[in-house]
Amino acid sequence: MHSKLNSLLKSDVRLEEGLTACMNCGICTAICPAAEYFEYDPRSIAVTVQSGNEEEIATLLESDTIWYCGQCMSCKTRCPRNNCPGLIISVLRKVSQETGAFVQSRMGRQQYLIVKNIGMNILNYGYCVHPTILMPENHPEQGPVWKWVYENMGEVYASVGANLNGDGPGAMRKISGADLGELHRIFKESGGLKFYETIEHFSKIKALELGFVNENGEADMEKYTQHLLQEI
Amino acid sequence: MNRFLPDVLIHTTEMMKNKHVAVIGGGIAGMEAASVLARQGLKVTLVEKQKATGGKLNDWHHLFPDFSSPGVVVENLDKKTVRAGVNVVCHTEISHIERNNGRFELSDQRDVKIFADAVIVASGFHVFDATLKEEYGYGLFSNVITSVDFERRMKKHGKLLTLQGTEPRRVAIIHCVGSRDAKVGNIYCSKVCCITGIKQAIEINKMLPECEVFCFYMDLRLYGSKFDSLYLEAQKRHKIQFIRGRLSEAAERPDKSLQLKAEDTLQGRPLRMNVDLVILLVGMEPALSNSSLMRNNQMKPDENGFFRSVNMHEARNVGTQEGIFMAGTAICPMAVNETLENARSAALEVMNFLRTDKNHGGF
Repeated sequence: MHSKLNSLLKSDVRLEEGLTACMNCGICTAICPAAEYFEYDPRSIAVTVQSGNEEEIATLLESDTIWYCGQCMSCKTRCPRNNCPGLIISVLRKVSQETGAFVQSRMGRQQYLIVKNIGMNILNYGYCVHPTILMPENHPEQGPVWKWVYENMGEVYASVGANLNGDGPGAMRKISGADLGELHRIFKESGGLKFYETIEHFSKIKALELGFVNENGEADMEKYTQHLLQEI
Repeated sequence: MNRFLPDVLIHTTEMMKNKHVAVIGGGIAGMEAASVLARQGLKVTLVEKQKATGGKLNDWHHLFPDFSSPGVVVENLDKKTVRAGVNVVCHTEISHIERNNGRFELSDQRDVKIFADAVIVASGFHVFDATLKEEYGYGLFSNVITSVDFERRMKKHGKLLTLQGTEPRRVAIIHCVGSRDAKVGNIYCSKVCCITGIKQAIEINKMLPECEVFCFYMDLRLYGSKFDSLYLEAQKRHKIQFIRGRLSEAAERPDKSLQLKAEDTLQGRPLRMNVDLVILLVGMEPALSNSSLMRNNQMKPDENGFFRSVNMHEARNVGTQEGIFMAGTAICPMAVNETLENARSAALEVMNFLRTDKNHGGF
């Protein structure tokens, strides 16, 4: 398992692009917005990956750490060696998802929620986020104004010239079945669907491990989802 | 004529008397090389583009690591060149070197021509343009200055004040500006900046004992035999603080002080700090005139854009075009004492070349 991690990381072209050689100057951490708010240090992540220490990499893949990055790529603009810690993080995330290490951390487990929401929204609606699926009860952070917009959706969107769920052009228009089919094929060909399945697969194992089992002896993903929402 | 000298040397000297060497660049490397060659009896023309010789040292306040005066160095070199009989031509910038029948023809924009049997290129270096590191705010924020500005200010005014005319209470000295930085295309180390920073930090502490001074570094590259003791002195006696982290950006605050963002990499956490003045230790780059000098002859740049030597160990002063030699920081970043040594070794290479010159029968 361990010797596999390095080769998994190195097989991703983004690592080649993102990490040539790090001299530990800390300029990435200094510019990193995430580092200001979290116990997060992109420099030390780059150093860990550079060291090739399998145990430390395994720990990283199972940690919250790799999920703090907002992928703003500010680090890329500063690095005096033209490295990009943001890309290193992308690769670590992918390997964490592929190996199932992500379910070992609170931040990592949220991958399941993201697949179920944004991930499936793309396939079902053609949008990451669409007004009709942003239900106020699930999104208290949107506040009372959103609740009002949601309840008066037809009028509000028409008044700003959008074509909500309509045929033909315009913002928020309905995405045709043909286009959705194409999106689906892109996700299939590019490995996106496989990715969703992998995340679901490991999430189910985690759900069983946590005791979320239904009457058929299968993982109860409803309860697991509730657990994840409480974890946030 | 000295009777005790062996005949062969007198013969050589007679032969060498008719040789003419042109030295391009009247900084300390060119002055030293020219005066050494002239003392050996050669005809030497030293060409300087500015109105006077001395080069960059004319702007420096104190030299590291002994705080001695660069003015004295230049003064002594001036005396040496005059006494040795060097023909000094100022206000002339050589832009063209051509070799015809074993002789060199040097010309400038106005078509001034100088003929020579050998050439020493001592064109020096270019100070990194700190405005290229826009995130450090040089040229945008008045309280961000360079190490060269510091030297000039100290030489002219003898004191260090902020734009507002107050004495700074906190100063940050930033290492590696324009050096070891792929973003500006300079991946090499300029070598002298670390010790310059320490020297300037000590000078600030001596002037303003209440002022806190911070050096932001990646590695302290204190290669000289007396450099580490100066580092120790800076910490022990002058309470200079060294923070291991590269500056990410500087932002001006309403009161014209500067907020710095870096990581204290030894603590492993981001760091924000407000200072009254920032000094950028700007690196050394190939001189701007290098590319025009390389044109029309077979001189080549090395991977950093300085002049390439035929062998970096055994023939550092020997250029890739036969008969053209280099001295000083035209080859790579170096300190004053190294530059002078390097210039003397260039003079020796020229002597050897002219003695064995095939066109003149050889030694």
